[in-house]
Amino acid sequence: MQVLRKVSLKTLGCRLNQYETDALVTSFHKAGYEIAGSEDQADVTVINTCTVTNQSDQKSRHTINHAAAKNKNGLVVVTGCMADNYKEKLEQQEQITYVVENDRKSQIVSLVDSHFAGEITHPDKLDRDRFGFDAVQKSFHTRTSIKIQDGCDNFCTFCIIPSVRGRAISRPVNDVLENVKSVLDNGFKEIVITGVNIGRYEHEGIHFEQLLEKILEVPGDFRVRISSLEPDGFGDDFHKLFAHPKLTPHLHLCLQSGSENILLKMRRMYSVQHFRETIERFRSAIPDFNFTTDIIVGFPGETEEDFKHTLDFAREARFSHIHTFRYSKRTGTRAERMPVQVPGPVMARRSEKIRLLSERSRMEYFESMHGKEQRVLIEKVDENGIASGYGENYIPVKFKTGNREKNRFEQVAIESMVAGEDTYLFATII
Amino acid sequence: MKTIEEVDQYVVKDIRDLNESTYVLRFNRGIMEFKPGQHVNIGINEKGEHREYSIYSGTHGDYVEVLIKEVDDGLVSRRLRKLKPGDQLSIRGPFGFFLADAKPASNERLLFVASGTGIAPFHSFMRTFPEADYRLIHGIRNIDEAYDKDHYKESRYFSCTSRGNRGDYNGRLTDYLLEAEEEKAEKVYLCGNSSMIYDAMDILRAQGYRHDQIFTEVYF
Repeated sequence: MQVLRKVSLKTLGCRLNQYETDALVTSFHKAGYEIAGSEDQADVTVINTCTVTNQSDQKSRHTINHAAAKNKNGLVVVTGCMADNYKEKLEQQEQITYVVENDRKSQIVSLVDSHFAGEITHPDKLDRDRFGFDAVQKSFHTRTSIKIQDGCDNFCTFCIIPSVRGRAISRPVNDVLENVKSVLDNGFKEIVITGVNIGRYEHEGIHFEQLLEKILEVPGDFRVRISSLEPDGFGDDFHKLFAHPKLTPHLHLCLQSGSENILLKMRRMYSVQHFRETIERFRSAIPDFNFTTDIIVGFPGETEEDFKHTLDFAREARFSHIHTFRYSKRTGTRAERMPVQVPGPVMARRSEKIRLLSERSRMEYFESMHGKEQRVLIEKVDENGIASGYGENYIPVKFKTGNREKNRFEQVAIESMVAGEDTYLFATII
Repeated sequence: MKTIEEVDQYVVKDIRDLNESTYVLRFNRGIMEFKPGQHVNIGINEKGEHREYSIYSGTHGDYVEVLIKEVDDGLVSRRLRKLKPGDQLSIRGPFGFFLADAKPASNERLLFVASGTGIAPFHSFMRTFPEADYRLIHGIRNIDEAYDKDHYKESRYFSCTSRGNRGDYNGRLTDYLLEAEEEKAEKVYLCGNSSMIYDAMDILRAQGYRHDQIFTEVYF
């Protein structure tokens, strides 16, 4: 009997990275590899890294070192944004077999296949194809992402991503729609539209909102989420699209700061007022629309007054979750050269305040959902018959069910909130 | 006929001094396609430091110009000024979306507000669309910073000098915006340092401009 080679894949960072790893898992699986569990020895370890902050660099380095130490005779393939940002340094490390840049990531399986066939190929010889990933198979999660775009041309002053993900490029409309149909055929019931800056999607005159309309027109019982979105990435009528039953009422809309002054220095392409009016427009149409966001604390020159504006606005906006980043100086960005870098302890204090606010807002939002209906996509059912999953508003819901089948929709009514480490809402089937 | 390698090679064509600290760097355009309002990243060589500069020239020529102010202790701006015609440059881009919504053919009246070298994208726009209906308010310290003011029709360019008394208005640009009764525009574009933009946005909002009529590009 032939023993399958084992491959282990580790992901750090954003949803786009997670999607690309999921797609690589599918490709390895189709190519005859066995997917190793997290504690298993592996013949190949692929680490899909992140470099968005110093902390991401540290985590990526730690993951590489750990994987190399654990699998001394295995291949170690490093890809992702860190591979682009520190390519030469990583290539000098003996423990790493291959360093593969983002735009060749989709070709990693052929690189590994060639290696085991005795053909040593330099990754630079691989084709560049940022959309050449397999459609993800059903077995890994209940939702999957659809990559519509890669790269970013915005050049926010704090951000290294344009340097490591490259210029903005959009996937052809038909490829996107084919990918959607494929994953629906694979059994997925929820798709997440993803990319680096999806609001900048443009292919042959089709923009983001038009593409979204086409995706919503695809037949089938499924729903669509939008991953992280920039506030300048859509027009004033965007909220009207959310009347479509397939489009879930949740947006992760990146604020970064509630200070107009800091937004300008970040070179963001919107104002706080623009953000405020966007939220108001959505909530006037869908009152319980769920907004989550990212906030950076400690951007160079951020004063106590600037931070207060951020806190005040975050409170006003009623985000159900705030992902807080402490500003991290990235080499080559404009902010690297800005004076008045904010001391670490000040950043830590501001970060903690945002975290506390986020927790409070989350509770308030969850409480506001009491008595409302949600359509939950069941992710798992435990031995006691308790099903868990997310409602359309992207809130975690649990309820009792006699049907142990997962990956199906169930209409429920929210009855109570169960607070704890992982706060969730308890519901009953209608 | 050019070789493939030559298409992406950029070389200095000319350096034209505008005053003691500011100059226009011109290089060959190659196959670069750009729009007014975009910027490029320029370095002496591919691996070295690069800096962002807005494109100053119009889109019709076979060259690209950028407007550069030397920065004290700057790693790039001072070295670029010492280059000679024929010297190679590393160019990345163009990038950016500023002025992407400015539609010169639709008879929209546009108000451009610039401080210092923030005038560059508007110069590019004016060179590309000479018949556009715009008004440019330029905030500078001294009149020697009124870069190429002769390139604009007299009725379209207006300088505000915070020092000296040779500007069209002797005082800060933001004071002028507060005092003046500029004809209302459909869209306003602000380019320059963040303090000016921040203050000007407040003034314009108070004058009734909506946020979706105001576009900004910050210089540092």
